[in-house]
Amino acid sequence: MRNLRATAMTFLPAAVTALLLTSCAESTGASGQSSQAPAGDGPIRIGAVLDITGAGAALGVAERKTLEMLAEETNADGGINGREVELIVEDNQSTEAAAATAITKLINEDNVDIVIGASRTGPSLAMRPIAESAQVPMISLAANADIIDGSEWVFKTTHSDRLVLERMVEEIDARGWETIGLALDASGFGEGVEAYIQELAAPRGIEVVASEKFAPDATDFTAQMVNLRQAGADVNIIWGIPPAAALAQQAYRRLGLEAPVMHSFGIGSQVFLDTAGPSAEGVLAALPKLLVVEQLPEDDPSKEVIMEFIAQYSAAYDGEKPNNFAGIAFDAYKIATAGLEEVGTDKAALRDYIENVEGLHGVNGTFNITPQDHAGLAKEDLQLVTVEGGTWKLAEG
Amino acid sequence: MTDLLQLLFAGISQGALYGLLAIGFVAVFTVSGVINLAQGEFAALAGLVAISASASGLPLVVAVALSLLVVLAVSLTMERLTVRQVPGLTTLQSIILTLGVSTALKAVMLIGWGPDAAGLAPITAGTIEVAGVSIRSQELWILGIAVALTLLIQWFYQSTAVGQSLRACADQPIAARLVGISRSRATLLSFAIAGLVGAVVGVLASPISLSAWDSGLTLGLKAFVAATLGGLVSVRGALLGGVVLGVLESLTAGYLDSGFRDAVAFLLLILVLGIRARGGFTVAGGARV
Repeated sequence: MRNLRATAMTFLPAAVTALLLTSCAESTGASGQSSQAPAGDGPIRIGAVLDITGAGAALGVAERKTLEMLAEETNADGGINGREVELIVEDNQSTEAAAATAITKLINEDNVDIVIGASRTGPSLAMRPIAESAQVPMISLAANADIIDGSEWVFKTTHSDRLVLERMVEEIDARGWETIGLALDASGFGEGVEAYIQELAAPRGIEVVASEKFAPDATDFTAQMVNLRQAGADVNIIWGIPPAAALAQQAYRRLGLEAPVMHSFGIGSQVFLDTAGPSAEGVLAALPKLLVVEQLPEDDPSKEVIMEFIAQYSAAYDGEKPNNFAGIAFDAYKIATAGLEEVGTDKAALRDYIENVEGLHGVNGTFNITPQDHAGLAKEDLQLVTVEGGTWKLAEG
Repeated sequence: MTDLLQLLFAGISQGALYGLLAIGFVAVFTVSGVINLAQGEFAALAGLVAISASASGLPLVVAVALSLLVVLAVSLTMERLTVRQVPGLTTLQSIILTLGVSTALKAVMLIGWGPDAAGLAPITAGTIEVAGVSIRSQELWILGIAVALTLLIQWFYQSTAVGQSLRACADQPIAARLVGISRSRATLLSFAIAGLVGAVVGVLASPISLSAWDSGLTLGLKAFVAATLGGLVSVRGALLGGVVLGVLESLTAGYLDSGFRDAVAFLLLILVLGIRARGGFTVAGGARV
């Protein structure tokens, strides 16, 4: 005991001196404003690993634009507690390997305080173990529930695919449809979807009668649609991302399938409407509210946030409308900066803060993150949407 | 039966695109031994240029003509700036070199056109139905143009002096040089053919399968397999190889498992390379451009 105290007594002054020295050294380089943050000084480093080129480019580019816009805004407002935000964006080329390399670089070389990304499931899954073992908070922008299942340091700001599927199967049940045909993306986006639909459908007496797959870069969907037509289910689900989802939808109509068709939340962008054209009329999808925000009732808790986000994004990028993925990045940034503002850059404290975020109104819904649920969104944050006259419309029910 | 016909037709029209693009591989390879991995990018670029031109108000014919010219210029520039610069270029070196060009072209397209896919207006819109089989009129155009262009290219190689000099370069490079045929000019000409067929495929495919900065990758890969099926030296073999590949893909997806669709091309490639080094649709003999 005495030994310990003695050690502590000699150690403490040394530690204090060291701390003072480092903080002096750093504050000369920083903005000079007094810092409220409990730990560290100098710029706050936010790392982002995004699918900027490759198959996920449609997602990653919008996400990068959003993060850059927000970081600029934060810095124009004087940073977080007087500390500048330094955003470091890495392109993972939509591959798992590059995502792993990028997050390793961000953590080891750039010493980032938090990582945002990746845009899609595969790269996010590749990053997860690295964030976990380095004990750096990570907020993924991808859908698959496996990204956060049982994770300690990894969060995400999208509706889990499972939540979307629950919403869809409930709707199928409510409309009295009894058989489902599936056409699923064969990449990470479609992984586990069939098993989960079966798990949800079986207790309700709903049966999956056909299951087809397509590559995300496929251009011909005749075979899949011919088989769905043959199976003759009450409703078909196409689970993909444009352009594949749009080409599949065209083939669906062209080959004369008449059953109602539901899509994943991957179609939530203008490019789906543009590329699917008239064939998109009448499709159903459970989508985040961004696309139909004007049609939401005034008392919707997300409406104001979304309207402001759209206005800010359009002003920053020549009137361009943000897509869903931009909204997902917006929420990740807001959660990250809320934590950084509140608890500073201590990684464990930041993790704890994010894990207890409650009632934060984002673009994708209201976040209530818990140790059990690292996404924190609810089914109610999704809207059943259809396409009418070439635009998104709230669907009844 | 209807389903089978529908699958066959989809396979044939998709395969015709593979086959037409494969002619580009053949044209370049026979003359210079170069495997041009940027062949698919020619198609993607043509689609994007035509879409932009037509969106800016130009009539479809003018937009398509413009895209053919742009891609032709790109393919010729590519030959002059890369392939020509390496004396004694081996096939392996050419793969590395053209892979670099392909990557650069993709980057330019991504910067210029952004990540989203778009489609060109079809030559004629609408679908017709024959015996329960739904056929897009664009698919009929694809088949017609593929056959016509293949015949035209064959006629060029067999019946024109310039075409025969290209064949001479392919067949007997040393003898060709002795009689005064410039290999450098022949290579340039072969890139012109490759650029043009690539561009034609791009504008034909765009209305039904969309164009994006990265749509040349899969298309180019499949076309390469089609060209290999035809032995890499035969124009007709390339078209036939494309159709066989397209039909096999379609039938595999329809009757076996739609997840296996993209594996067909590579299984075929392994089979062909393993069993017959000379390819499926050629008989023994010299280069048969």
